[in-house]
Amino acid sequence: MKLSRREAIALAGVTAGAAALTGCNTVANYTYGVTREPIIPPDPKDNEAVAMLNRFGFGPNNDSIKELHQLGRKEWIERQLNPSEKLPAHLVARLERLEINHLGPWDLRDWKEDAIIAQMQQASILRATYSPWQLQERMVDFWTNHFNIFAKKGLAVYRKPWDERNVIRQHALGKFPEMIMASAKSTAMLLYLDQQNSTASHPNENYGRELLELHTLGVNGGYNQQDVMEVARCFTGWSEERGFLKKKGAFLFIPEIHDKKEKTVLGHKIPAGRGVEDGEDVVKIVSLHPGTANHITSKLCEYFLGNKNHPIQPKLAEEFISSEGDIKSVMRLILNTYPNGQQPVIKRPLDFIVSALRSTDAATDAAGPVQQALANMGQPLYLWPMPDGFPTETSAWTSSLLARWNFVSRLTSNDFKGTKIDPNRMIKNDENLDGVAIAFRRPATSQDLKQLSKSISHPDLAAQIALALSSPEFQWR
Amino acid sequence: MAINKNNWTYCDGEGRLDRPAPKINRRQLLTGAATLIASGVWWASPKTALSQAYIRSDKTNGNILISLFLRGGADGLNIVAPYAEDDYYRLRPSLGIASPKSRKPENQRLTDLDGFFGINPALLPLISDYKEGNLAFVHAVGSGDQSHSHFEAMSTMELGLNNQSERVSGGWLARHLNSTPERQAPLRAISFTSTMPDRVSGAHGALAINSLAEYNLQNEDKIFLEQLGKIYERGDTEVAEAGRDILKVLKILNQNDPKGYQPGSGANYPNSELGRAFKETAFLIKNDVGLEICCLDSVGWDSHITQGNTDGWLYELLSDVSKSIAAFRADLGKEMNRVIICVQTEFGRRVGENSGLGTDHGAGSCMMLLGNSVNGGKVYADWPGLVPDKLSGPGDLAITTDYRTILTEVTEKHLQNLQTNTIFPNLPQHQSLQLIAK
Repeated sequence: MKLSRREAIALAGVTAGAAALTGCNTVANYTYGVTREPIIPPDPKDNEAVAMLNRFGFGPNNDSIKELHQLGRKEWIERQLNPSEKLPAHLVARLERLEINHLGPWDLRDWKEDAIIAQMQQASILRATYSPWQLQERMVDFWTNHFNIFAKKGLAVYRKPWDERNVIRQHALGKFPEMIMASAKSTAMLLYLDQQNSTASHPNENYGRELLELHTLGVNGGYNQQDVMEVARCFTGWSEERGFLKKKGAFLFIPEIHDKKEKTVLGHKIPAGRGVEDGEDVVKIVSLHPGTANHITSKLCEYFLGNKNHPIQPKLAEEFISSEGDIKSVMRLILNTYPNGQQPVIKRPLDFIVSALRSTDAATDAAGPVQQALANMGQPLYLWPMPDGFPTETSAWTSSLLARWNFVSRLTSNDFKGTKIDPNRMIKNDENLDGVAIAFRRPATSQDLKQLSKSISHPDLAAQIALALSSPEFQWR
Repeated sequence: MAINKNNWTYCDGEGRLDRPAPKINRRQLLTGAATLIASGVWWASPKTALSQAYIRSDKTNGNILISLFLRGGADGLNIVAPYAEDDYYRLRPSLGIASPKSRKPENQRLTDLDGFFGINPALLPLISDYKEGNLAFVHAVGSGDQSHSHFEAMSTMELGLNNQSERVSGGWLARHLNSTPERQAPLRAISFTSTMPDRVSGAHGALAINSLAEYNLQNEDKIFLEQLGKIYERGDTEVAEAGRDILKVLKILNQNDPKGYQPGSGANYPNSELGRAFKETAFLIKNDVGLEICCLDSVGWDSHITQGNTDGWLYELLSDVSKSIAAFRADLGKEMNRVIICVQTEFGRRVGENSGLGTDHGAGSCMMLLGNSVNGGKVYADWPGLVPDKLSGPGDLAITTDYRTILTEVTEKHLQNLQTNTIFPNLPQHQSLQLIAK
C-alpha cells in the first residue's frame, strides 16, 4: 500500500490513541458516504458482468459493474490480472489504522492474540468489500486457504500478518515457485507445522508432509512415505530467530541441527554436506512437479469453474509447467473459459457476507459484529485448525443458512454497530426497484429470478432485500 | 512496512522466546474452530413468530448411536497402553506412562485392565463402566489407508472405505440413513459441528448445528418468516433442502427450549464444547425428537510436540472426553439403554516418541464402545506386538482389526440395519468380534 504513512497521518494520526482511531473511522465512513451513489438500475446487458463479478470477485456493486461495462470483458480481465496498489481513500483510511499492516512479528508481541486476529479479519473483510481489485482479493482467499495457518497455534498469530503480506498478497498473481519458497521461509507456517522442532536426530514430518500433500503435489501426486521422511530431513534446521537482541520471528537457518547426510527426494539426489540449499532444492523440485501442476490447476478449476475435472484442466496444467508456474497465465485461461462448462459454486460465509455488503452498498467497519456473524456461520477467518483450509463442498455449508438469515435480518434493520445501509438512497434512480433487483443487481424479470420475485411481496423494501439475500438463489456465487 | 526500531530489544534476556506459548492454546485447539462460534450472544426472545407454528414431533424410542471422532490421530498407545511390553517403555522413554504396578498414585500411572493393558488416568471417570461390563476397547484398529494423511485417513473412515482408491457417494452414516427412509423423523441425524462432517454428508435431513441454545431466528417479523417459508418451498438444490429442514427444526426447538435444560442425577458436564454438545444431545434424547444418529467431534489430537503423559495435552483432551461421557451417562439414566457411544480416530501415532516429546502420524490406534448392550469389561485385540519386526511402515503399531468390522456390528445389531453390504461396500467376509449383545 503506497499511500500509507503520509495519508494516514493527514487523516487522523495513526499513533494517536483511541479517540483519534474512532475519528479515523468516522472520516472513513464519511469519505465512503459522499462517494456512494444510488444503485444503477440493472440492465440485462450486464448479466454476464454480474456473473463474472460473482465468480471472480466478491459480487457486484456499482463501481465494479460500471468498470466492467466500460472496459469490456477482455480489458477488464487484463486490468484485474495486473492490479495496482491504488485503493480508494476511505479503504486506505480504514486499513491504515490497523497495526498489523505496519509491524513485523517482532513488534506485535505486546498485542493480545485476539486483537491481532480481529485486525486480520477486519482487513480481509474490508479489502474484499471495497477493493476495486476484486480478482486479487479472490486469489488471496484461495491462497490463504491453500496455505492455511491456524492463528491460535502457539505464536503463529504474531507471524501470520507478515505471512499474509509477504507470502499470500505478494504472490497471489505471481510465480508459484516463488510463493512456495516464501511460504517455506514464513515462520508462521514453520511454527504452525512444527518445523522448528525438527532436528537431524529427530526430524519432524509435519511440514514436509503438508508441503507435498497440500501445498504442492497433492495426495495422489506421486510421492511416498519415504519421500516425506527425506523432505523432512532436508528441512531440518529451518527455524526462526529467537536470539537475544534479535528480531524474533524472522526466518533463521540453524546449521547445527541440519541433517547434512545425502538424501533422495522424488528420485533427485540431494548431495551431502550442504545447508539451507537442501530445502531450497526441495522447493524447486516440488513446485514445478507435474503432480503439482495437476493439483493446483484442479483446485483452481474447482474454485472458479465449480468442477475440478473441468475439460480445460489438462491445458491449464500444461500452461502451469510451460510458464514455470505463472499464476497469472493460468488464471487468464480460466477467466477466458468462463462460463463454458461452469457449475454452481456455493458461497462460503465470507463470500456471502461480503456479497451482501456489496450489493446493499453498506458502509461497514468490518469490526466485531460482522466478524461474529462470520464465526456464527462457521468461517472465523484464520481460525480453521487444520492445514487444508476451510472446506469447499456445498454440503459443508448448508447448515449455515440460519446464521445467514440472521445476518441479513440484522443488516437490513441496521442493527449492526459500525455497519449501515440506506435502502431509500439505493432506489433514488428508480423507485420501482425491488429487493430482488437490489440484491442480485439483475432485473427481477430475469428467467431464474422471476419466481423468487413473485414470492417476495413484503411491503417493506429492507425486508424484501433481506428475503432476497436469504433465498436459495443468493447462496451461489 | 514500518519497523519500530525502538522495540526489538524487548525480550526475556535469555535468548528464549520473548513470550511463553499461552496456556490457553491447548484448550483452544481442543475446541478448534468452534471457539468463536459458540460465543454468539444474541437470540430472539422465545416468543417469536415461530411459536405460532406448532408441529408435533414423532416419538420413536429407537436406538441411538453417538459417533465421536477424535480428529488429528489420537495416540491409542497412551490411551490404552500395553504396559506388559518392554518395548513400550523402551520406545517411549519420556512419554510412556508408569505401569499399574508402580508405586505412584493412581493419577500418575496406568490403571490395569486385564494384566496386559492399562488405561490413561484421564479415563478413570469411566473405570466403573469398564468394571460393570459396559465399556469395551478394541486395539490395533485402523483402515487400509497408507497415506499417513489426516484428511485421507479421516475421509476413508468417514466414508466407510478401506482406502481412498474406492469410490462411494457420501458418508457411511448417510448411507445408513438413506437406506432406511421409513424411519423418518424431524431430527433424525444431527452433528454438533460448524460444518457437516463426511460421515453424514449426503444424508437427507441431517443438520450440522453448533449449539442448540443459540439456534434461533433473530427476526420477529411474522411476514418475513412466512415469506421465508414460501421461498424455500420450492427448489431441489442442497441449499433449498437444507433450508426446509432448518425451518422444521426451528419449530421443534421453539416448543422445547434447550436453554432451560437441567441435567438429571446431578450430572456435571465439563465446561467445554464437547461437554456442551453431549449435554444438548441428552436434551434431544429426553425430548424424543426422533434422534437416531448424533455426530460429535473432538479436535486437537495431532500431538507432534509436547503431548505429555499423565498431564498435558493428550491428558486434557482425554479427560474432556471421559468427563463428558460420564456426565452424559449419568444424565440419561435408563434412557442409556437405547444408546451406544462409539469413539474412533483416523490413525494412531508412531510408537517411538520424537524429539519434540511428541509422536508423529502412525497406523493402529484404539476404538472405544460404551453402552449397556456392549459386551464390555474387555480389551479386544489381536495384538501385533511392539518388537521392531512387528511394527509396520516407519515404526507404527500394525493394524490387525479393520475398523469397519466394528461399525458393521454397530450398524447391524444396534441400528438394526442389515444392509451393511452397501454401507461398507468392499468389506471382506470376517468373524464378528461379538462386541454387542444381540
